[in-house]
Amino acid sequence: MEFGTIEREIYVEASPEIVFEVVSSPDHLKRWWPDDARYEPSPGATGEIVFGDRDADGAVVAFTVVEARPPRTFSFRWTHPADEVAAEGNSLLVTFDLTPARGGTLLKMTETGFREMGWEIAVLEQQYREHITGWDFYLPRLAPYVATLETRS
Amino acid sequence: MTTAAANTVDDDLWSAIGDPTRRRMLDLLLVDGDGTATTLSRQLPVTRQAVAKHLGVLGRVGLVRATPASREKRYRVDDAQLARAVAQLSSVGSAWDARLQRIKRIAEAIERRQRN
Repeated sequence: MEFGTIEREIYVEASPEIVFEVVSSPDHLKRWWPDDARYEPSPGATGEIVFGDRDADGAVVAFTVVEARPPRTFSFRWTHPADEVAAEGNSLLVTFDLTPARGGTLLKMTETGFREMGWEIAVLEQQYREHITGWDFYLPRLAPYVATLETRS
Repeated sequence: MTTAAANTVDDDLWSAIGDPTRRRMLDLLLVDGDGTATTLSRQLPVTRQAVAKHLGVLGRVGLVRATPASREKRYRVDDAQLARAVAQLSSVGSAWDARLQRIKRIAEAIERRQRN
């Protein structure tokens, strides 16, 4: 796994054409991620996704389509400042790769850009999952701690 | 749960914990219960000065708390803030797990509808 990347893979019992539609169209996106999505699913198109209520205190997040090659690849950048062009260093890049497999689709998701944004989340996550460093010390301590929080509330 | 993980992540907390020396220091403090810049620097390949600086960073984001000892400050890990950091950490990955499960369900429902 590349340093600074989150990778996931899932098998979907549906054709790549259908899966592509679900991961790329704003109408579908709203059903699996944000509360609202406005963009054209074509390369270079800019738009936004909204978490919560746009008119109340919801979060409006910039969204730029990078690649749209049905039914194989769909990628976008998000979290860049709305007045900036999405690029490496100011946003997270999410890529969906679709491969036909066993009558369905193998869907691979990667999200990169954490390190460039200075968050190091993905690095931490990797270490967290693999217990390379001391995260295995933290967890045994956390469980009893979380239990005390639950009984308190 | 549709909160944008990337937006709710606390940048300062992350950059504080993103440094391998500081993570090692947290480990040592957790194992030993507490420590000073001097005791920590004995167990790390960095100077006491560097350790003191790192403790400052960890202190500012609330991951460690200092109590004045006889000659120098004694540090402990703040359990609540550490729990918060770990929760944020796992939420990024698990958020994608949940999204992909939803993608799978939606696509498979469409596929079944088209076949019937």
